[in-house]
Amino acid sequence: MPKSLNSSYDQLVEKAQEIFWLKGFKGISVKDLSSELDISQNVLYNKYSKDMLFLDSLNYYTNNYSDPFLKQLRQTTEGLDSLKEFFYTLIDALINKTFPRSCLMVNTVVELRNENTDVVLKYDDYLNTLKDSYIVVLEKAFKLGQFKNKTKINEYADFLLGIIFSLSILYKIHSREELCIYIDEQLTFIQ
Amino acid sequence: MRYKEYNRNAILEKAILLFWQKGFNGCSINEIVEATGVNRFSLYHEFGSKEGILYASLELYRERYSKNKFDLLKNTDGEIHKTLMQFYTAFLEDNQPMAGCYFIHVGTELADTDENIRESLNSYLDEILSLIQGLLIRSGIEKNVGFYAKHLLGLFCTVMSFCLIQSPAEYREYVANGINIILSSYAKIVEQ
Repeated sequence: MPKSLNSSYDQLVEKAQEIFWLKGFKGISVKDLSSELDISQNVLYNKYSKDMLFLDSLNYYTNNYSDPFLKQLRQTTEGLDSLKEFFYTLIDALINKTFPRSCLMVNTVVELRNENTDVVLKYDDYLNTLKDSYIVVLEKAFKLGQFKNKTKINEYADFLLGIIFSLSILYKIHSREELCIYIDEQLTFIQ
Repeated sequence: MRYKEYNRNAILEKAILLFWQKGFNGCSINEIVEATGVNRFSLYHEFGSKEGILYASLELYRERYSKNKFDLLKNTDGEIHKTLMQFYTAFLEDNQPMAGCYFIHVGTELADTDENIRESLNSYLDEILSLIQGLLIRSGIEKNVGFYAKHLLGLFCTVMSFCLIQSPAEYREYVANGINIILSSYAKIVEQ
């Protein structure tokens, strides 16, 4: 990251993450990326790099989408009902294209797998925060008596962690209503 | 005629690998020409367009790599957890170009913008859904077959992307946990 991290770089990242979200990392060439960002290829090669913009796009996603969203989730008080609300909000973001294409982190997992260590660290971090947030809510759900076996919390959190992946595919072929029923039913497995 | 001299499926095999590794938009027609050794004119003549190559590659994948996995679900004498496990882990194996599922990979990239891809993803997942339903019925599950099949399909969608970053051992554990959570709810309903 350059020392002169100024607002114009921030704006560049904001634009870049939208492009990466739609097209993926490999789906856009340096040439097309620079023209969409309205900067010269030279700048993209010498001052920044496509890799750097991509990593900062993942940071942007974490800071602006997932972190606030998950902080809110951890503060909820209704256990499984709060989880339901959380997933409904996610479904809306997918269907209304507030999330331009699936979840950026899921896309990144599917596209880049373990190819780039820096990227692996980013999505690992994201998945860990996601799982920890689920555990916080599951503990509240347990206290509310919404399920009986406390030792299952970790198993359930893993199960819930899968939902972001399945929703990221299923929203493409199902209606909002079908997806909400899918969530309702998934939550009945926690019992 | 010259353009028929090459093997269509050999081209598509190369295309599957390229699209899978680099994404459809991440790979140019030049790269396909280079990888297959077939010139652009012949490629367009045979497939019409780059999209045409993609659609044909999905068909080949389904025929060549999915069918034998789908057949696992038609198994009539296995225990259901075991049969499902065999099915989910078949996508990990080295007998296909990459771990995971080509349809899920292509669908993730393109199903929002390409109606044909959306349709073929839908039909692919529908086939899995009905095969799982058949398996559930043969295993003596009578109530809510559609419900369990739907969530086992959801598990499939999850692990086909999640599995890409897990070790085979983690993957097996995740899948087993998922199957248990879904099917143990059936056992509980039956007990009641």
